Amino acid sequence: MRLEKCWFCSSTIYPGHGIQFVRNDAKIFRFCRSKCHKNFKMKRNPRKVKWTKAYRRLHGKDMTQDSTFEFERKRNRPERYDRNLAENTLKAIKKIDKVRVDREARHHALRMKGKKAKEQKEAQKELEQHIHLLKAPAVLQEDPSLTLPKIKVKVSQQQSEENQAMEE
Amino acid sequence: MVQYNFKKITVVPPGKDFIDIILSRTQRQTPTVVHKGYAISRLRQFYMRKVKYTQQNFHEKLSTIIEEFPRLDDIHPFYGDLLHVLYNKDHYKLALGQVNTARNLISKIAKDYVKLLKYGDSLYRCKSLKVAALGRMCTVIKRIGPSLAYLEQIRQHMARLPSIDPNTRTVLICGYPNVGKSSFINKITRADVDVQPYAFTTKSLFVGHTDYKYLRYQVIDTPGILDRPFEDRNIIEMCSITALAHLRAAVLFFLDVSGSCGYSIAQQAALFHSIKSLFMNKPLIIVCNKTDLQPLEGISEEDMKLVMEMKAEAMKTVLGQGGEPTNDEGVLLTMSTLTEDGVIAVKNAACERLLNQRVEIKMKSKKINDCLNRFHVALPKPRDQKERPPCIPQAVMEARAKEAAEKEKRKTEKDIENENGGAGVYSASLKKHYILSNEEWKEDIMPEILDGHNVADFIDPDILLRLEELEREEGLRQAVEEDDDFEMDGKELTSEEQEALAEIRKKKSLLIQQHRIKKSTAESRPIVPRKFDKNKEFTTKRMGRQLSVLGLDPSLAINRARSRSLSRKGRKRERSPAYDGGDAMDVDVDTPKKKLRARSRSLSLSRSRSRPPSEVTPGEGFKDSAQKVKAIKLGKKSVKMRNKDARNGRGSNNDVLQSSRQLPKFARSYGGSSSIRFFIRRFMVAASKEAGNAFWSDKFTFTSFSLPGYMLFWQF
Repeated sequence: MRLEKCWFCSSTIYPGHGIQFVRNDAKIFRFCRSKCHKNFKMKRNPRKVKWTKAYRRLHGKDMTQDSTFEFERKRNRPERYDRNLAENTLKAIKKIDKVRVDREARHHALRMKGKKAKEQKEAQKELEQHIHLLKAPAVLQEDPSLTLPKIKVKVSQQQSEENQAMEE
Repeated sequence: MVQYNFKKITVVPPGKDFIDIILSRTQRQTPTVVHKGYAISRLRQFYMRKVKYTQQNFHEKLSTIIEEFPRLDDIHPFYGDLLHVLYNKDHYKLALGQVNTARNLISKIAKDYVKLLKYGDSLYRCKSLKVAALGRMCTVIKRIGPSLAYLEQIRQHMARLPSIDPNTRTVLICGYPNVGKSSFINKITRADVDVQPYAFTTKSLFVGHTDYKYLRYQVIDTPGILDRPFEDRNIIEMCSITALAHLRAAVLFFLDVSGSCGYSIAQQAALFHSIKSLFMNKPLIIVCNKTDLQPLEGISEEDMKLVMEMKAEAMKTVLGQGGEPTNDEGVLLTMSTLTEDGVIAVKNAACERLLNQRVEIKMKSKKINDCLNRFHVALPKPRDQKERPPCIPQAVMEARAKEAAEKEKRKTEKDIENENGGAGVYSASLKKHYILSNEEWKEDIMPEILDGHNVADFIDPDILLRLEELEREEGLRQAVEEDDDFEMDGKELTSEEQEALAEIRKKKSLLIQQHRIKKSTAESRPIVPRKFDKNKEFTTKRMGRQLSVLGLDPSLAINRARSRSLSRKGRKRERSPAYDGGDAMDVDVDTPKKKLRARSRSLSLSRSRSRPPSEVTPGEGFKDSAQKVKAIKLGKKSVKMRNKDARNGRGSNNDVLQSSRQLPKFARSYGGSSSIRFFIRRFMVAASKEAGNAFWSDKFTFTSFSLPGYMLFWQF
């Protein structure tokens, strides 16, 4: 039993899932679900489809090179069974996973580093430039605080109507 | 040696099908077209040909049937008797006889009718003669229908008879039911006969083949025979009797010494004595079966006596053949088919005796003399008295001895399997012979998948070292990281500012939405200038609201807007009579405020009421109300006729009514039946009917025809 990788999105394919397509030149394409399969049939390039791992790696969204990836390599020659080795391997897998997850998180944090400052700067600018949508500049000059004006009651027009009614 | 193969007989069709086949063939293979204008000789020839053709076909097919079915007298008496036993000989001959007579009858009919046809004088007469001829032939066939069905059944059964060669070396197995005959044949040949605990499991003869001394022997399994008088025997038993009677074979009489077949040894002995006449000139061996249940030595005295009697009888046959009189080894044998103990010995004995007998007979017959001079067995003459045994090297002898010993000692996996309960119960442990550093690890189960990874991909002898390195790296990196962890936060927005920002964003998105709506509808809707807003969108109230939302005081702007409004200034002068007569406006700025106000108010009031249809509002696009009225009239006129006819429009499925009388009276917009319009309408109806038909038959499109019709129509 082997877990494979989906050719399109690079997620793991568990047993009992997905479709394998064998081309005439004997290259095997494995897909984890029909979404990937249909995209493949449409001849889409996974490097251009945003949600695939290939895209993310290519555009630097996810970590590409790391020593943790070296541990997991497909070996074609089987090793003779050794209980200690098996035990150690199992423990090691867990540790390696942890390390890899930490590193990925670090990569992500690094990528998002300057976001907060940028957002704040942008917000400031917007506020300065478009405050006229909320408060007329004349009013702003008088009252530089940002309290928004409330809708005032209608002016003398109605009063004059009432007067007229009374008159006639 | 003729191989009797009844599988090659052609299928006999049932009566009806027979007739159908022949008649359809006649119809297909002879010319079909004939007219009464042809010359009379041609007509006669036409019909004569049909009659003769039909007769020939019948003759052919019936002849094949007659020839292919075997004649019981001409075939080997074994088959003849077998077929007689299975299907009654008389019945069979009768059926074939009927087919023969049918053939002759048909020939006669055809001859007669051909003679009559020679003098047929009209088409009709010739035709009826032919019909009569064919009809009579078919009746003949219909009458032999049951015979044909019977022959078909026989054919099917014959095809399934076992192919027994009566002339070759044969071993026959007989005895009471359930004694073990079928098990024996299953053991020595590749035949797969049913073995069941009930009697008469085997209901017909079965053939198997086995080899002995490079020669092939037929082994025939028969159904069991009961001890009954000859006349009472049923068909199944008669099969075995027939086989016994006609085949020159070695006979193995099976005896069940344990009595588990349900019949005692006495009964079996009685049977033996009643059919011993059939064993003349045949090498007979008495086989005691089921010795695993009851060994031969253990039976009672009387039974032993009976068995010895039988043996004596069998010995007589040996004597009769000129074999050694004192050799009684091959006469009475014991075996058990369950444990396979002695089965091969029985087979060998039977084959040996048969072979010897056949060789003897051949030697005695004349034929051998022709070939005898071609045989010569050369034996070298001994030179001296020295013994020269075959020379085998010592090493080979030792190896042979060792092999023999090993063969005894070694235990195979199969033996282990059998010990532990057989194939279904025991499953061999495949991990037994694993070569591992530690024997305890043989039964270990290693996981293949962990947390979405394949464990096999990680297995590496120095994984621990590498893991250590990794952890060291990680530790270092973490230490470095902690130093430059936090970021400068910078200025954060206060809650007030955040609120304002949210508002700004909301307003912006609203504006964008509105703009998008306007953009999408801009092409389909004309842009009405603001001064002609019919829906009263641009009011001072609205302006006031918008300005006060921004925090400004709108009163000044509103007053200014009001003072410049049209109602105060007055509209452009109109000369239309449909307007309120007295209110013709004369703009005068100096009219007193009161009057102005009253007028403005009445005008504003009148504006809020619904307008008359001919009144033209400024944004509509009409010059004056006269134009508007005319436009409305034109529009109505264009739909008037269609509405009257209650139709959907020109392009819909216009199934024109058959006559104007089908229309309701009010919809008829043309004159009486004598009017020219009605006449033209009728023409149109007829034409469109034709068009309707043509629509489906030709590539005539409906619209292309009806359109000019309608255009004509509209002119009236």
